[in-house]
Amino acid sequence: MSKLHSDEELMTQVRNGASERLGVLFDRYQTPLFNFYLRLTGSRALSEDLVQEVFVRILKYRQSYNPANPFRPWIYRIARNARTDHARKQHPETEWTPEMSPPVVPIDSAQKQQEAALLHRALMQLPEEKREVLILSRLQELKHEEIAGLLGCEVGTVKVRVHRALQDLKAAYQQLQAAIPPNHGRTGQIPPHGVAP
Amino acid sequence: MNCERFDTLLPDYLAGSLRHDDEDRFESHMEQCARCKEAVALWNKLAELPQEQPSPALRARFEAMLEAHQASHSEAPRDLLPRHSLLPFLAGGGLTRMAASAAFAVVLLVAGFAAGRYSIAPAQQQLQEELIALRGEMTGMRQAAFLLMLQQPSASDRLQAVAMGSQAAQMDPQVLAALMQSLRSDSSVDVRLAALNTLARFGSQPTVREGLLDALQPRQSPLVQVALIDLLVEMRDRSAVPQLQKVSQDPNLNPAVRQRAEMAIRQLN
Repeated sequence: MSKLHSDEELMTQVRNGASERLGVLFDRYQTPLFNFYLRLTGSRALSEDLVQEVFVRILKYRQSYNPANPFRPWIYRIARNARTDHARKQHPETEWTPEMSPPVVPIDSAQKQQEAALLHRALMQLPEEKREVLILSRLQELKHEEIAGLLGCEVGTVKVRVHRALQDLKAAYQQLQAAIPPNHGRTGQIPPHGVAP
Repeated sequence: MNCERFDTLLPDYLAGSLRHDDEDRFESHMEQCARCKEAVALWNKLAELPQEQPSPALRARFEAMLEAHQASHSEAPRDLLPRHSLLPFLAGGGLTRMAASAAFAVVLLVAGFAAGRYSIAPAQQQLQEELIALRGEMTGMRQAAFLLMLQQPSASDRLQAVAMGSQAAQMDPQVLAALMQSLRSDSSVDVRLAALNTLARFGSQPTVREGLLDALQPRQSPLVQVALIDLLVEMRDRSAVPQLQKVSQDPNLNPAVRQRAEMAIRQLN
């Protein structure tokens, strides 16, 4: 039955004291948020910690939720703040290493798997601001207006950033592609970086 | 269409919000230009990145956190704060927060009046003394209002008091002690968390540090415990490690809290 309730209705109930309703929101958002953080940080453990932190903050700041506003931008704002606060505490930015890459879910072909691994690596080579705008607009499917609200900038600026980030991603991706010798098609040196489950 | 125009329209195209005629021109350019085609192809590939699943432990942690929250919020409101005896003239009349604020305003008014009157008086020495005395009285009055507000039965009044305290540049030991008392035993978790936030600013004082460590008691709300642990890590307070070890090993405590304590010990060492 919970499908009948919008995110906004559920959050309003949480705000009014029905904290058990947060479970439904958790079910809806744990995977998108986890993937948001995973693509941003490259670390599964950290991503889970941050998702948990988001829900701790939702409870803590539930009174600040305005039922007239859409829930999605609100939760992503909390998510971004949680990430920023964490990064501030962890002064040297963690360098991405292949070991931090997530295990790649089996995809239909070895070639696609390699492409996904390459693309993930290319994404991780971008500075975090660029990576973030791509993740938000493409993987989290937030609208330009919503991202503008999150980043505190104009919609036009978001568009420029998306475009520039995509160009940079293309350059990084092509560079990585060029680095693979052609005979490394299937069992090449760019393994899917699978971490033992 | 050239590549520059293509780049300008790209984000709207990707968002599916291009006008029809623009879209046609956009696509016909894309067919002819390998550079521009690749950008769109890469965008499409991004969406094919596999969606990862968090471990089941995440759900378990969430549930532990939620349970802890519910347990701490179902407590019946209790009046744990002792009544301060230093303000019989205020507390005796059952003065409300508004009256306390009004009293504070009167002090300001008197101070302004006195300052105006004495500024034309020739006795500079006397003026100085009077002003110092008045300032002292005002500080006392502000503290009195603060302590009184901290005892109001409504949690939102107490929250407001704590928020008011958070703006103070420095704090009298008596006020700090009252805040630490709130942190330990206010019936509202929100007030306890707000008191913690205010106290965090005075974390360099040894008594506050001691008070923070002392508040990390097994009976404390898990939400406050987690916030306290985070604060101790932020302050890089290594002397907290033994207490954190106790927390992490206490089987009666909330698993999320114990996990947080373990993480904190690692970060502090």
